[in-house]
Amino acid sequence: MTDFDALLKRSFAEAHEPADDGFAASVSHGVARREAMAKVLSGVQIVFTILAAATLAYAGWLIAMALGAERLLTFAGDGVGSARAALSTAPSTGEVATGFLRSLSAGMSQILLISAALAGGAVAYRASQD
Amino acid sequence: MAARFLNLAQASEAALIVAAQAKDQAAFGELVKRRQGWARALLRRMCNSHAEADDLAQDAFIKAWDRLKDLETPAAFPGWFRRIAVTTFLMAKRRQKAVFEEIDEASPIASEDSTPEAAAGAKIDLEKALARLSDAERLCVTLNHGEGLSHAEIVDITGLPLGTVKSHVLRGTDKLRRLLEPAT
Repeated sequence: MTDFDALLKRSFAEAHEPADDGFAASVSHGVARREAMAKVLSGVQIVFTILAAATLAYAGWLIAMALGAERLLTFAGDGVGSARAALSTAPSTGEVATGFLRSLSAGMSQILLISAALAGGAVAYRASQD
Repeated sequence: MAARFLNLAQASEAALIVAAQAKDQAAFGELVKRRQGWARALLRRMCNSHAEADDLAQDAFIKAWDRLKDLETPAAFPGWFRRIAVTTFLMAKRRQKAVFEEIDEASPIASEDSTPEAAAGAKIDLEKALARLSDAERLCVTLNHGEGLSHAEIVDITGLPLGTVKSHVLRGTDKLRRLLEPAT
């Protein structure tokens, strides 16, 4: 090591370090803001997840209702007495088909809603991870 | 939380780091208080602007808060944080597309505002002399002479090729020698 290298190292070692002129407080404020934002994002994520689950359950219920009516019609066609009795009180095939299509279209809008909720949840999750 | 029982002012740095890893913001604040001088001085030597250096130091501390769980042992904090600071600096320079920008051939700095205290050592002119180096030279010289890192360690922390690091250290040191000569 030359004399100059030694002088350089000494100069670096003796160099002035800035005083804490509010810097630490500024960092602490930044960290607190970041944590608050993470909490908000986490809350948004939970809300979206609950919304998605509720929408999924509702859509499942609608589809089950539509399929349940159709199955009832099938049993009636097999000549089961009790089912025949049910068929006599069941709506006509046309009405069932119309009802099923109506449920399906309602289900489609639910599926779209689920997709949107899941996408929102995913975005919120991603943002909270970042 | 264990850190709530810490006397922050008297706690060891290791205890503060462990508490901060458990998301204790007060412990991290105390850690920042203790390390801010070193971190800001390091970044001020790398940057030409004190304001920019302080902004980068703040970014580096916030990144450190986010990644503290990745720190394996408290003893590794200085080297671990230095890496974050250097990466933050390099990212900022890449955004400015200025990392390898060279300046004109160095010429000795007139020491018209040198005080007698400054003449006794080169410490006041060191900052001015560093400002005359290119970004890459300043970075390599600071890490080598200021932080005591070897060429291989600088390669590891900056991602620059070994030959480039050696060249920047050599050229930067040579420029500093010529720049500081009138004051020494």
